[in-house]
Amino acid sequence: MKRLIALLTAGVMIALLAGCRKQEASAQIFAMDTVMGVTAYGGSAEKAVKAAEEEILRLEDMLSRTDPKSQVSRLNGSDGAAVAVDEEIVSLIREAGTYSQATGGAFDITIAPVVAAWGFTTDTYQVPEQADVDALLAAVGMEHVTLAESQVTLERGTEIDLGGIAKGYASDKLEAIFEEHQVEHGMVELGGNILLIGSKPDGTAWRLGVQDPAKPNEAAYAAIVQLEDAFAVTSGSYQRYFEQDGKTYHHIIDPATGRPADSGLTSVTVVTDRGSGSGTMCDALSTALFVMGEEQALEFWRGSDYAFELILVTEDGRVVVTKGLEEALMETKESGYTYEIVS
Amino acid sequence: MRSSPKLKPGIWDALVALIVLVMAVGCACAVWTGDSDGGGELEAVVRMDADGTDTEIRMRLDGLNRVERTVTSNGYTLQIVLTETEAWVEASDCPTQDCVHTGHISRSGQSIVCLPARVIVQLVGGDGGDPGVDAVVG
Ligand SMILES: [Zn+2]
Repeated sequence: MKRLIALLTAGVMIALLAGCRKQEASAQIFAMDTVMGVTAYGGSAEKAVKAAEEEILRLEDMLSRTDPKSQVSRLNGSDGAAVAVDEEIVSLIREAGTYSQATGGAFDITIAPVVAAWGFTTDTYQVPEQADVDALLAAVGMEHVTLAESQVTLERGTEIDLGGIAKGYASDKLEAIFEEHQVEHGMVELGGNILLIGSKPDGTAWRLGVQDPAKPNEAAYAAIVQLEDAFAVTSGSYQRYFEQDGKTYHHIIDPATGRPADSGLTSVTVVTDRGSGSGTMCDALSTALFVMGEEQALEFWRGSDYAFELILVTEDGRVVVTKGLEEALMETKESGYTYEIVS
Repeated sequence: MRSSPKLKPGIWDALVALIVLVMAVGCACAVWTGDSDGGGELEAVVRMDADGTDTEIRMRLDGLNRVERTVTSNGYTLQIVLTETEAWVEASDCPTQDCVHTGHISRSGQSIVCLPARVIVQLVGGDGGDPGVDAVVG
């Protein structure tokens, strides 16, 4: 009997120790053209992080536009023929199509050949002739894509790039992995895409800095928001650009013109609660709303069925924040920006 | 239960006592050591991820004379310079040269990334300039 009590005591101590120090695991992964960070606390944190690493590499193999062996590359090289692919790719392309439709084509995975003409795919930047761009634009649009259950047909000349939602999609998959392993607190950073699980381990909200587009290489923030259980994605013109003849050209191409979107914005951050939106949605919308510009983006926010909030940074030095983030927002002094809450 | 009270401690009792002791020490250690990242000293952390093996070099910048470290990772070689106040990549044979073009970093939270070589140079700790964020979106 005494032994039993002693064993029980030991059991309680084990539980206490577990409470003292939750299992913690983290990893940095080079994938999808960026460096990714994954951190998990509680539950089977170590297993979760390992599974997350494997999942990221699996998705990279499947979705890469530059790896000639990937399913996306096989599609792009199909020259008009139907190609058998995983159902997962079909459903991802289908989801991309719904964002394309919802945003009036401001987000479009078939813009790929135009982005390539600007050299953003291969780091060989150049300003293409408008005639060449116009010729490529003729094959841009989801109407050139036909989907079957596990088969995709791209019309000749049409190519897709899932890079605009790949990281968001990866964050959704990682959310499921963290849930499966009962991770209590966690953070996933996939090159501009953030997923926050729960609060910080100490019970307070995560403090998320929105990169100051004017100082891309510094630890400088246009705003800081306090968030729990959320996805956040930023699209910004500062993330990739080149200069030629004194003009700057960035990587977010407007599918309507085939040229870098000139919308008066320097960055768009889309935030959603884990329960009501997804990383894929944030990824697609951040690009689309950057293309749209301030006025149209806010109009879209007001009228959309998607549940999300926005932080817009404008070229003229304002940070425009939608009402739902008002309480989470911490204005950063010294940032030099003026802050506006819109509803 | 038919067992009569035993006065001599058996091996099981000893084992249980040992387990309890280990738990207690472990718990105390966990509480006392706390978080090692939040220190006041500015530190440079160089991480490499070559062929799936992670390597990490940590160096306290305070009182440091100019130190040059040549790092080979993923087939590329980077020349990293650390001083008391700054870190930078002086030269690299990587194709993009982004790491060299990032220039000098001097504040906690800043980092230099070389994607082709899979190297990250990060400044952590220190009081200067860290506005206290857990993550950056952008
Ligand atoms: Zn480099």
